Amino acid sequence: MHDFPRYSLLATRYCLILLFTTVSCSKPDPLYQEQILALGALVDISISGVEPERAQQAASAIAQDFNRIHRTWHAWQESELTRINAQLPGGAPFPVQADLIPLLTRAQELSRQSEGLFNPAMGKLIGLWGFHSDEPRGPPPDPGAIAALVAQRPAMNDLRLENSLLQGRNPAVQLDFGAIGQGYAVDTAIAHLRRLGIENAIVNASGDIRVIGKHGARPWRIGIRNPRGPGILASIEMQGDESIVTSGTYERFFEHQGRRYHHIIDPRSGYPARGLASVTVLHGDAVTADAASTALLVAGLKDWKRVARAMGVKQVMLIDEQGKVYMDAALARRVYFEITPAPDVEITGSP
Amino acid sequence: MTRADFIVTLAAVALLPYLYVTQWGSGARGEQVRISVGGKEFARVPLYKAQRLEVPGALGVSVLEIKDGKVRFVASPCHGKQCVHSGWLTLSGEFAACLPNRISVQVAGREPRYDAINF
Repeated sequence: MHDFPRYSLLATRYCLILLFTTVSCSKPDPLYQEQILALGALVDISISGVEPERAQQAASAIAQDFNRIHRTWHAWQESELTRINAQLPGGAPFPVQADLIPLLTRAQELSRQSEGLFNPAMGKLIGLWGFHSDEPRGPPPDPGAIAALVAQRPAMNDLRLENSLLQGRNPAVQLDFGAIGQGYAVDTAIAHLRRLGIENAIVNASGDIRVIGKHGARPWRIGIRNPRGPGILASIEMQGDESIVTSGTYERFFEHQGRRYHHIIDPRSGYPARGLASVTVLHGDAVTADAASTALLVAGLKDWKRVARAMGVKQVMLIDEQGKVYMDAALARRVYFEITPAPDVEITGSP
Repeated sequence: MTRADFIVTLAAVALLPYLYVTQWGSGARGEQVRISVGGKEFARVPLYKAQRLEVPGALGVSVLEIKDGKVRFVASPCHGKQCVHSGWLTLSGEFAACLPNRISVQVAGREPRYDAINF
């Protein structure tokens, strides 16, 4: 009997260790998930930590936001943007809706910072390549037509915006916000969720993601698609308020006579950018990440750091056409590769 | 540390894998596939039962194959065939879509390995 206290102590320790391990493995809060089709894309909304009815109402509100943005900014279906594009070549100032101005000015600023590599003014070139279509089919356009459009140098600083009046000063300018439309919609949706008091959520529009808060007690887990094959290349944990956007040459493309032509056009050459397969940018807001991922893919391995610095972007992962990964040490600590063998990684200096 | 302390600690540590599996669910592998057409759920099908499914979409019929806990697009009436190139999906949270045909396929499990996929 004199051993009883000792066994009791052992049993207590055993229970404590069990309790600790059980608690540390406990499941996160239940999650509300809804999928909508908007902006020609699949939009996933995940909301954690609120009752399902409230989450459902919030998701419906977001769906309306996406549909409104679709109607406003679509580059080739009738929209506010196509009405603007119809008036720009005339050269006379014309009024634009007040709610369009913030994105127009932001796009001008991002384009300037990116040295024009992110260029929403080259809508004609995008259309010439046949990417103003849900299913681009090719063939590639006539080289003479490409050269003629490039020579006209359509740029965002050809636009003058004063007192809600917009004026085009280069008849070649046609706006196409395809490179930041999803990011803008994601930012708008997150702001709306916050106004509704939602603190833990993910909005994912065709892979352009912004997270706020957490998934229960743990961070959100994001899988990054392998740009060179099926499946997931890597994963990363995100929390607080952060966006992750990837521009990849595998997203939209057509094939012609055995050659692949993708949708990220280099405004300097007028042809699809060469050298990189994808660029992933982590940043606070999704619009900046979206514009930067496009600009850095165009900039390529030689110039990406300078452009990233100018755009205020710090965390970047680049993957070249051979599958080699380039990223700085801070991001490398966060990224966990999900394929074996892991790809060849070069740690670069910070931008 | 006495021998008894050691045994108790060892027993607790040995239980960890069991707790991991029971508390986190199957984690990686999905259990069923959620098929949506035009953003609306079309069907939920278990991944353990081998079958071919014909899903009517906006352009025509997409064919899905389910086998050995995996699902893939076999055929789709779209032009680019990106859905077919996505290959097999098996992990909870993985998804593929044929946007022209408005069909999406997502693997679901008790606890998805990924909350969202960036691409």
